[in-house]
Amino acid sequence: MADFEIKDLRASVEGRQILKGVSLDVSKGEVHAVMGPNGSGKSTLSHTLMGHPGYTVDGGSVLFKGQNVLELEPDERARLGMFLAFQYPVVVPGISMTNFLRTALNSKRGYDGKDKSKQVTPKEFRSMLKDELEVLHMDDSFLPRYINDGFSGGEKKRAEILQMAMLRPEIAILDETDSGLDIDSIKFVADAVNRMRGPELGILIITHYTRILEFIKPDFVHVLVDGKFVLSGGSEVADRLEKTGYSEWGKEETAQPQEVA
Amino acid sequence: MVSTEAPLEDLIFRGEPDWLRENRRSALESYQRLPAPSKTDEEWRRTDVSRLDPSAFSRFEKAPAHTTMATNLPKGVILESLPVAARDYAELVQPRLFSLAQAHRDRFTALQAALFTGGIFLYVPDGVEIDEPITGRHFSHESGTTVQPHTLIVAGKNSKFNYLDEYIAEHDDEAGYRSGSTEIFLGEGSQVGYVAVQKWGRNVWHFSDQRAELGKDATLRLFNVTLGGKFSKTRVEASLAGEGSNAELKAIYFASGEQFFDFHTLQEHRVGNTRSDLLFKGALQDVSRTVYAGLIRIEKHAARSDAYQANRNLVLSDKAKATSIPMLEIDNNDVRCTHGATVGPVDPEHLFYLRSRGITEATAKRMLIQGFFGDVLDRIPFEHARKLVEAELESRIG
Repeated sequence: MADFEIKDLRASVEGRQILKGVSLDVSKGEVHAVMGPNGSGKSTLSHTLMGHPGYTVDGGSVLFKGQNVLELEPDERARLGMFLAFQYPVVVPGISMTNFLRTALNSKRGYDGKDKSKQVTPKEFRSMLKDELEVLHMDDSFLPRYINDGFSGGEKKRAEILQMAMLRPEIAILDETDSGLDIDSIKFVADAVNRMRGPELGILIITHYTRILEFIKPDFVHVLVDGKFVLSGGSEVADRLEKTGYSEWGKEETAQPQEVA
Repeated sequence: MVSTEAPLEDLIFRGEPDWLRENRRSALESYQRLPAPSKTDEEWRRTDVSRLDPSAFSRFEKAPAHTTMATNLPKGVILESLPVAARDYAELVQPRLFSLAQAHRDRFTALQAALFTGGIFLYVPDGVEIDEPITGRHFSHESGTTVQPHTLIVAGKNSKFNYLDEYIAEHDDEAGYRSGSTEIFLGEGSQVGYVAVQKWGRNVWHFSDQRAELGKDATLRLFNVTLGGKFSKTRVEASLAGEGSNAELKAIYFASGEQFFDFHTLQEHRVGNTRSDLLFKGALQDVSRTVYAGLIRIEKHAARSDAYQANRNLVLSDKAKATSIPMLEIDNNDVRCTHGATVGPVDPEHLFYLRSRGITEATAKRMLIQGFFGDVLDRIPFEHARKLVEAELESRIG
């Protein structure tokens, strides 16, 4: 049995069915890439897995640690060990990154304002931050700023990976993490992700383009077209897509970025 | 309010100078003469006072205001109860008292001018700077009574100080009639920070006028906090009368239960090269309602004025309702003027983002409400008031 099992997942947005039966097994220690052209359902997959209220589950299940996570609230999923690195991280005015990170970390540890032994100590928090900031080539000037406020595209994506590193999930979904990134930022992000790779973490990389897969080598690649997987295999699938794009499924889109998004 | 004038003489007027007694009588006449606000009157269209009968609260609480910093004040500074100051410093008080908040404006300002009880007079002479904030604390002790404090502040040329008015109910469930009005006169080049925190009982009717007049190059940083009352009407008005003057008008309100808050603001640019910056932010819970109506008025000769006005409402319940009406009246083309209003719930994308990191819905909402107020709380002009307001807000957000 895999650690994270998506079975026949069907989901819709505003009454329109997008995912038409997606099944995928991810175990810790593995890196899976889900690739697909525009409109194939990649974002729907990531949002549905994390429980975004705008997406309706029409059927299927997602088993993780003996629970069907589709029945859990988004915060329960996160506390269970799931993480989503957003394609478009939102700006949240009024809440500093430090406050956000500390509250998230405390929540993850089950600190509810009462049991102080579960609370992250300032020293521990600082030391965790320092390590991860270094790997991501970020300085700490962004910590007092509001969540993602005034961050460049690259900074936002790096901040997502920073959160992932702090929260140490067991299943991480990286949704188009490479879009809008310059090559240096991709490398920093990839370094940080590769550093976390290991027997305690299963990764699902959702991407249109093969580029990020040059830096984070996937064990498995799945091609999503029109809400279903049409091809699954090893990293050779990504090489094939790099050459032919999505044309064999009738989509005239390449899998290489033609321009920085 | 009171059927005969005799008890008033005993209760309130006793020991006061003739000019003040005369003003009070004249204001009382205005009160009796002025009609009750009508629904056809734009200012009262959404603000229903038809069920208010001030005479139901004919017992007056005349507790004197408590002030801090009464000692160690720099030489020449006067900090006194308003009735005493009216007697001892008539030359400073008489020309100004109720000259900004005028008795004939409506029944409620008339009532304030006629029957204000207690209150504070602060005079800071030219060139005097006070580091420590001065605090006036106004208390109510009983349900069913009337409490009408009034604050008069006169800032001399190039003076600089901070002042806090706190309106405190002994019992949170008190009913009654409450006010808490303020007139501030800013002399040339003066810099005044003024904060009013209204925490009257949850069942009172509350009327307040906060009005300032700014002389040349004067700077006012005013911050209003409205929390109490089942009905609260507050007018915040700055008259920019001197070139180079600058008024920053900020407010937060947090309405819950069946509370109704009304705010009317005025940024009156009477001369050129003046600047005003207004931001009113409120959160509404349960079945509460708020109305904000703000006017920027730029007069004909007030060229190169710069005015900004924004009202933002965070509506936390389907049954709560915020109404926001920004208005402009501009008689000069050479000005910069922006205004805007928003009314909306917690952004579901913000909520999802926080929750996706393991933060519970309740905690995430609390963070978002605090975050909503964050930028405006940063504008509270001094630390003492900022801490007080943050604590008040936190206890209400829960």
